[in-house]
Amino acid sequence: MQQPTAQLSASTLAIHGEGDRLALDGVLDIRTLSQASKALRRWLDKRRGGRARRALDLDKLSGLDTTGALFLWRLGEQGVELTGVREEHQALFGLIGGLEHQPLRKPASLPRWRQLVIHLGKAADEAWHDTYDVIAFVGRATNALGYALAHPRYLRLPSISRQIAETGIDALPIIGLMAIMISVVIGYQGVAQLRPYGGEEFTINLVAVSMLREMGVLITAIMVAGRSGSAFAAEIGVMKAREEIDALNVMGMDAMNVLVVPRLIGLIITLPLLTFFSDIMGLLGGAMISQSLLHVSPVQYVDRVHHALAGGDLAVGLIKAPIFGFLIAVIGCMHGLRVKGSAASVGHETTRAVVAAIFVVIVLDALFSVLFEKLGL
Amino acid sequence: MSARATRHPAPILSARDIVNRFGRQEVHDRVSLDVIPGEIVGIVGGSGSGKSVLLKTMTGLHRPDSGEVLIDGKPIGSIGAAEKASLIGVLFQQGALFSSLSVAQNVMLPMREHTDLPAKEQESIAAMKLELAGLTGDSAIKVPSQLSGGMVKRAALARALALDPKILFLDEPTSDLDPLTAGGIDSLIAKLNESLGLTVVIVTHDLTTLFTICRRVAVLVDGKITVDTVDRLMRSDQPWIHAFLHGPRARGALSARRQKHGNG
Repeated sequence: MQQPTAQLSASTLAIHGEGDRLALDGVLDIRTLSQASKALRRWLDKRRGGRARRALDLDKLSGLDTTGALFLWRLGEQGVELTGVREEHQALFGLIGGLEHQPLRKPASLPRWRQLVIHLGKAADEAWHDTYDVIAFVGRATNALGYALAHPRYLRLPSISRQIAETGIDALPIIGLMAIMISVVIGYQGVAQLRPYGGEEFTINLVAVSMLREMGVLITAIMVAGRSGSAFAAEIGVMKAREEIDALNVMGMDAMNVLVVPRLIGLIITLPLLTFFSDIMGLLGGAMISQSLLHVSPVQYVDRVHHALAGGDLAVGLIKAPIFGFLIAVIGCMHGLRVKGSAASVGHETTRAVVAAIFVVIVLDALFSVLFEKLGL
Repeated sequence: MSARATRHPAPILSARDIVNRFGRQEVHDRVSLDVIPGEIVGIVGGSGSGKSVLLKTMTGLHRPDSGEVLIDGKPIGSIGAAEKASLIGVLFQQGALFSSLSVAQNVMLPMREHTDLPAKEQESIAAMKLELAGLTGDSAIKVPSQLSGGMVKRAALARALALDPKILFLDEPTSDLDPLTAGGIDSLIAKLNESLGLTVVIVTHDLTTLFTICRRVAVLVDGKITVDTVDRLMRSDQPWIHAFLHGPRARGALSARRQKHGNG
């Protein structure tokens, strides 16, 4: 009756005897259970309705664990007589027999269409709450920001300077590199598209104007949303999960003032500066492209850029930066404060913060484009 | 210093001359501990005395700087993953339940990984383990974040028992629990030890646990270990051990011991 045992080896079990009387010999534990279970079920099924009571002799059973005891106890419930139970197994049977043996409760399952309806309703409700939360949070954050600016005593300068260092200075290398790369990409495309018309010279205009008006600020905002928006959400989220926010509250400090305002001010200051840096690096990338593809020397390049740019181009880009900074910080902090308890929730909110921040930045940038066009800037 | 259990059957778990250092700080200085099958051993020591590191060393999660850990006579490093899972079970201090799985799925996870039992069988075994650990009804389908502290400990205990291990390691099983729940966990451990012959190693601060269910106690002081029965440790003149076992909190725990064991 030997069956291949489960992956866990070591213990072995043999089943002796035939007819209505079988005997177990060896160890009945979680490793040998599937073997025993298969064999004994076949034995039980073989002659249903037989008169004689089936018996299982356990005298030679040298090892038994809770799993095995549960199995034997259930056989006993089904009318199998257990004979020769060893002294040392009595306590175990007592333990198992004393339990209530309620089946594992199953989560209530609903039909598919109802799940769909419920999901839809929940999502709509959540979207409504999200919108409401964002608007309310923007209001509260603005209020706290205004209060802090009006009462400089509540401006936490060390905290702000740390935020500027982390979100600004530390981001310089990556943002500079990204700006150069993007201007190289635009430059290559410009040259390729404009050459058939003999207008490849205008690539310089294309790079300079698009970097300063749109790409510089957009790249920077997206990078900062990914870098700092997520950091804000995760930092504040972990503090929330570890009850640090509650600790601040009972000590009479508002998370809004202590945690959110310094981050807001930090990002409102750093994002325009980073944008300016990214513009410069973008123009530098443009210079490299002009040198290699158009054979325009850097001195000529500066002259051409000077002519290509209108006065407002730099301002159009930079004016958007503090607004993006404000929104990225607000969204990051808001999602951080929405964390509930577990570590999984921190991850969830961080992801949502980054997605929401990038989404808002791009939507707003599109709106700005339309607005500036209408205003003729 | 080594305190070997002599005249006993072969130890099921044996830590030999364990040395652990972190930087210049020596946490364990040739620490040895033999645990014989079926006994409950408590490990105590002040904060930072290396209790948890010793537990990690004995479960193979931390490799000591020197010394070895033998389980059933085999070095712990040479034991395969599946075999190790069926030899030792660990109740971590914070429970370490997998947060994405329900309580029942947590308990079934090792069974699903290491046995070929059908799903229905696994479910009934999981229900039994959970009931053994004192969890019934709706708690099985909850996720860990919905559980209270005591329920987390119980669920984690049920998971530690999933494969019916030979040795159960408990890291502070009764910390953060109310006294009633803590007492319930204590008596559960004692019950499992009696009926299954389960070997239990408990890291604890809970004097009641030590006095009522531990057969022997290992005390870690200054990187050294002293292993003895509670009664003999009570007479020790080592200052930390004396202060620990004769402090105001020890008195209450002692009365619990008298209730359980008679005047002992």
